[in-house]
Amino acid sequence: MHFPWWHVDYLTAPMLIAFVSVVHVLVAHYAVGGGLFLAVEVTHAYRTHNRDYLAYLRRHAKFFVLLTVAFGAITGVGIWWTIGLASPLATRVLIRTFVFAWATEYVFFILEIVSAFIFYHYWGRLPEKVHATIVWIYGISAWASLVIIAAITAFMLDPGKWPADHDFWSAILNRQALPQIISRTGGALLLSSLYVYLHAALTIKDAKLHALIESRSTRPALLGAVLITVGGVLWHVLLPPSAQAALYAAPVLNVLMALLFAATGIVFVLLFFGPYRNPGWIHTPGFAASVLLFGVIGMSTAEFIREAVRKPYICYNVVLGSQMLPDEVTRVRRQGFLESGPWTRAFVQAKYPQVVSGDGHIDRTRLLALPKAGQIELGGVIFQYHCNDCHAVRQGYSPVGPLVQGWTPAMIRALVQDLDRTRFTMPPWAGTPEEAELLVAYLADVSPPRPVGMLPAEPKTGAR
Amino acid sequence: MEPKTLVDTSMALGLPAPVWFIELFKWLGFSLHAVPMNLWLAGILVSMILYVLGNPHGRRFNARLMAQMPVIIALGINFGIVPLLFIQVGFAEIFYPATILMAWFWFLVVVLLLPAYYGVYLYAYGLAGQGDAMPRWKRAAGWVSAVLLVAIGFTFANAMSLMENVKSWPDLWQRHSFNGAALGTALNLADPRLWPRWLLMFGLALTTTAVWVAFDAAWFARRESPAYRAWAKDFSWRLYTVGAVWFAIAGAWYSFGTWTPDTRQAMFRSAWVLLTVVTAAAPAGVWVLLWLARKREGDIGPGWASLIGLAQFGVLGINAAGRQVVQHVEIGPYFDIVHQPTGQTQWAPLAIFLVLFVLALGLVAWMIYQVAKLPAQPDAA
Repeated sequence: MHFPWWHVDYLTAPMLIAFVSVVHVLVAHYAVGGGLFLAVEVTHAYRTHNRDYLAYLRRHAKFFVLLTVAFGAITGVGIWWTIGLASPLATRVLIRTFVFAWATEYVFFILEIVSAFIFYHYWGRLPEKVHATIVWIYGISAWASLVIIAAITAFMLDPGKWPADHDFWSAILNRQALPQIISRTGGALLLSSLYVYLHAALTIKDAKLHALIESRSTRPALLGAVLITVGGVLWHVLLPPSAQAALYAAPVLNVLMALLFAATGIVFVLLFFGPYRNPGWIHTPGFAASVLLFGVIGMSTAEFIREAVRKPYICYNVVLGSQMLPDEVTRVRRQGFLESGPWTRAFVQAKYPQVVSGDGHIDRTRLLALPKAGQIELGGVIFQYHCNDCHAVRQGYSPVGPLVQGWTPAMIRALVQDLDRTRFTMPPWAGTPEEAELLVAYLADVSPPRPVGMLPAEPKTGAR
Repeated sequence: MEPKTLVDTSMALGLPAPVWFIELFKWLGFSLHAVPMNLWLAGILVSMILYVLGNPHGRRFNARLMAQMPVIIALGINFGIVPLLFIQVGFAEIFYPATILMAWFWFLVVVLLLPAYYGVYLYAYGLAGQGDAMPRWKRAAGWVSAVLLVAIGFTFANAMSLMENVKSWPDLWQRHSFNGAALGTALNLADPRLWPRWLLMFGLALTTTAVWVAFDAAWFARRESPAYRAWAKDFSWRLYTVGAVWFAIAGAWYSFGTWTPDTRQAMFRSAWVLLTVVTAAAPAGVWVLLWLARKREGDIGPGWASLIGLAQFGVLGINAAGRQVVQHVEIGPYFDIVHQPTGQTQWAPLAIFLVLFVLALGLVAWMIYQVAKLPAQPDAA
C-alpha cells in the first residue's frame, strides 16, 4: 500500500523471496557448520599430526570457500535484494528495527571473509597454531552471524513486546529466538556433515582415511540431529496460537509437515544404518548423495513452513500480508483502500478522474457509478495491492480465480467483507463497502465457471 | 500526476539513529566499497584488453589482477552491504519505489553476479593451474565476467539515478504496470543524467585501476622483474591520464549538461561550490603524484604508493560526498531526508556495534600481520 506493488505473474513476488531464501539457507548453514567442522578437525589433525587428514581438509576447504564465500555471500545479498522488492514495508520495519543488529552481523561477516581467505590461501605457510586460530575465528564468527540472523527471523514469527514498546531488546530477545538458534545450529552441524560425506565419497579412495572422516563427521551430525529435535519442539511449543492452528488447518502445511518429518526421519535412519551400523555404505557417492538430498529436502521444507505459518502476517502482529500495519486497518477502512495508498490513489486520479472530487480525494460514492469494465479494473488494482502477496490471479501460486470457482457474487461478497473471520490466515478486509464491491466484480470476472456435468446437477435458476 | 504524491511519508516508525550517523556510514561504506568495485568494474576489462594486446607486462598484470580478483570481489560485496543497509534505513521512501519500478533488472544484479564471480574464479584457477596455456573457455570466462560486471554497474547507475529522478516515476510506472502494480520492467534510460553518471563512474574506476597498478607493483610484486615494475610505473600514469580525462569529460557533461537549475544553484553558487571544485580537481592531485613517481628513478616505493593510494581513496570519498550532496538537492523537493523523525535512538546496540567493529578491526589487523610477517615464497621460476 505504501509502496508500488511488484506484480510477478504466476509466481507472485514473495515466492521469489522463498526461492532465494531456500537456496541461500542450504549454503549458509553449511557455511556455519562447515566452518565449525573445519575448526574442530584442523585442530584435531594438527594435534594428532595426521598429514593425510590435513590434506583432505585442505581439499575440503577449497570446496567450502568456493561454495560459501561466493555463492553463499551472493545469495545472502540476494535475499536483501528480493525482500526489498517483494515486501518493502516489512523490510523497512525490519531494517529500522535491526539496523545495528545487521551492522553487527556485518562485522562478523568481515571476519568470516578475511579469515576464510587467509585460512585457505595460507595453508601450509602459517604456523599450525596460528592457522588453527584463524579457522576458529571463522567458525565462531559464522556462528555469531547465525545467532543474529536467527533472532531477526524469529522476530518475524513472534515480535514479543515490540509492537507495544518498539524497543530493540524486546525485538531481538523474542521468544522464538532461542528455539531457532538451537535448531539452526543443529541444522548447520547436520548439513555440514552431509556435505562432508558426499565430498569425501567423491574424492577419497583410501579406506582408512574414509573411516576416520566418517567417524569424525558423524558426531556433529548426531549432535545436529538432537539440536534440531530440541529446537523444533521448542519452536512448536512457543508458536503463537494462530501459527500453531495454521500448521494443522492449511492443507499445504499438513503436506509439508509430513514431508519434513519424513525427510528428517529418513536422514536419521540413514545415519543410523549408514555411518553407525554399516560404515562402508557412506563411502559410496550414491548413498552419500541420498542422505544429503533428504537433508536438503528437510531443510527446504522447514524454511518454507517457517515462512508460511506467519500468515496472515509477514511479521507477526507487525506487518500484514496486505502490506499494511495492523493499526492502519481501521483508518484505511474509513478512508478507503484506494485513497490510502499513494500508488492506488494516483492510479485512480490518472485513469478515472470522474471519481475524484474537487479536493483531489477519491469520492467513494462515485465508484459504483463507473462502467462495469472500470469497476473490474479498479477491483484488479485492489487485488494487486491487497491480495497478490499470497495469491496469483488465474493460474500459478494459490490463484484466486480457481479458489472462488463457481462462487456466486454473494458468496464472494461474504468472503471479502469477512476475510479474516472466514480464514484466520487471511488479513482483515481494509476497504470501504464500495471497494468490496469492486473486488467482488474483479474476482467474479477472473473466476472460471463451475465445471459442468457434476452430479447432483445444479438446480436451474428459479427452480426452487 | 504530481510525482511528489507517490512518495509516502506517512509511515510512523522513526529513524533508529541520528540522520548524520546514517549519512556518515552510508558515505563511508560507499567510499570503501568503491575501491574494490572500481577494480572489478574497469580493472577486469582493462586487464583483459591488455592480455589481448599481447605486451608481456600487460599480460603479467592481467594474471596478477585476476589472481587477486576473487578476494577483491569478496571484499567489494562485503563493503557494499554497508551503503545498501544505510540507504534502506534513511532513504526507504524513495529507494524502494525506484527499485520496484525496475525490479527485474534490479533482481538481475544478483543473478548476473553469480556467473560473473564464478567466471573470475574460473579464470584465476585457470591461470594458477595452466597459466597462458589455459583453455579458451576459461579465458572467455574472464571476458564474460568483465561484461557482466559492467552491465551490473549500469544497472546500479540506473537505480540510483531513478531514485533521484522522482519526476520520471509516473510516466515509467504507467507504461510498465498491470492493474496499477509495477511490472518491474522500467529502465530509467530517458534520464539525461544516467549516461554521464555511469560514464563518470567508469572514468573514476579507470583511475582507481591505474592506482592499483602502481600500488600492487610497489607492495605485492617483489618477485616480479624490474622491467615489470618499470612498466607498471609508466602504465599507471598513462591509464590514470585516460581515466582522469574520461572523468573530466563525463563530469562536465553530468554537471553542466544535466543538473537541474536547483542543483546548479546549490553546487555552483552556494558554499557547496568548494566541494564541487574539490571533487572536480581531486584526480589532478593523484595524477601529479603518479607523474612525479614516473619521473623519479627506480621503483615506486611502498611509502609513495601508499600515499598515492590514500590520495585516490580521498578522491573516491570526495566524489561520494559530492554525489551525496547532489542526491540531497535533487531528492529534496520530493522527500526531506534530513528532517525525518527520529524514533528511539538505539544507543546500546549502536555502541555494541561500534565496540565489536573496533575489536574486529583488531582481529583483522592481527590476521594480516600474521600473513605479512611470513617469509616470501621462493620464486617458482
